[in-house]
Amino acid sequence: MGLAVLSVLLMFADQRFDYLTQVRYYAALVVTPIQWLADLPKHLQEQVDQTLQSRNALLDENTRLRDELARQQYQLQKLNHLEAENRRLNELLNASSIVEERVMRAQLIQESPDPFSKRVLINKGGRDGVFLGQPVLDAFGLMGQVVEVEPFNSWVMLITDAQHATPVQVSRNGIRAIASGRFGTLHELELRNLPNTADITVGDLLVTSGLGQRFPAGYPVATIVSVVHDPGQPFAVVTASPAAQLDRSRNLLLVFAEQGEQDRSFSR
Amino acid sequence: MSALERHHAGWVIVLSFLVAALLTVLPLPDWMEPYRPEWLVLFLIYWIMALPYRIGMLSGWIIGFFEDVLEGSLLGLNALALAIVAYIAMSLYRRLRMFTPFQQSCTVMVIVGLHQLLSYWILTASNQAVAPDLLFLASAVSSAFFWPLVFVALRQSRRYFRVI
Repeated sequence: MGLAVLSVLLMFADQRFDYLTQVRYYAALVVTPIQWLADLPKHLQEQVDQTLQSRNALLDENTRLRDELARQQYQLQKLNHLEAENRRLNELLNASSIVEERVMRAQLIQESPDPFSKRVLINKGGRDGVFLGQPVLDAFGLMGQVVEVEPFNSWVMLITDAQHATPVQVSRNGIRAIASGRFGTLHELELRNLPNTADITVGDLLVTSGLGQRFPAGYPVATIVSVVHDPGQPFAVVTASPAAQLDRSRNLLLVFAEQGEQDRSFSR
Repeated sequence: MSALERHHAGWVIVLSFLVAALLTVLPLPDWMEPYRPEWLVLFLIYWIMALPYRIGMLSGWIIGFFEDVLEGSLLGLNALALAIVAYIAMSLYRRLRMFTPFQQSCTVMVIVGLHQLLSYWILTASNQAVAPDLLFLASAVSSAFFWPLVFVALRQSRRYFRVI
């Protein structure tokens, strides 16, 4: 009976307040070895794959990567110029200065075993400077944000989790919306409360709008896959598929904004 | 005999629960995820059945607490669920010992089913899940399927290491 009351109190405190982050932080030290152990087979397999690759495969990969690098460097030349120009124009408009960002690489080591939540565990934690609410990207777009910090690992809630909402903007015309996850679907986003008359079509790219001050502006989030105008509904039903490879990426990037970090309360 | 001598080889119990925790988080393909047996519940039921004077509700609660931290779920969810499982097992252990393996499996299925319903109920109450179907009960069936295996393995190790 006492235990039941204690658990209910714990759950309530965990849901509503953040007193328990410290408890979790230290209790996590006990379970971290288990998580490492569970990841070990995958880790070893990757190591073995790397060691046993044939010379030809490596040469092929090398050529391909060099091609890609050349192409991207060519694009980067233009980008540098554009960025400088953009900054000048922003200054002319008296807009706030552009935030410089720094990234840290992290590896995914576990997915949440709970089929209802879309969370992943990464191998960077409070000891590496990870903080609550930190944005996480992969090579293709926004993945999610840090929701729990442990000493060596941290949990990242993916943008398709039903409890997650991302402030986005259509990159073509700047229409703002909220992209939220849904229960029961694998990896799909839904744009709620968009009026039927909104100028949005299939194939539009959604980027982070930077509103809400959690995610830096301008990262790709998703592409629109369907827009349904049902006259019986007050809003259009818009679904989008995430740009990030939520179920495949193992190499993730944690973003540190150099200015205007909001939620540094739990970093160390 | 002193209390220390009466309790023997506790590390076997701790190690078995670590193995169960490892099995709980071992990566599985997405479609198999709902069918993953509730290993911690199975191991808890066994140890309560074998040593009811050593493993009880408090142990269940502590194991559940660490499961919550391990899975990153709501703190206290699995703690409550496992404490209740421990309570049920405590009141049933005399009957469980008499049952045939098949009857034991059926009882285990009911207990794991209750465990699933309770955790799902709490998840829904705290707005973290809406199940489209009853697939979340599938692990009760797979747990019942794996019960005889867990039972034999744990009984062998209990006898071999003389855990009392």
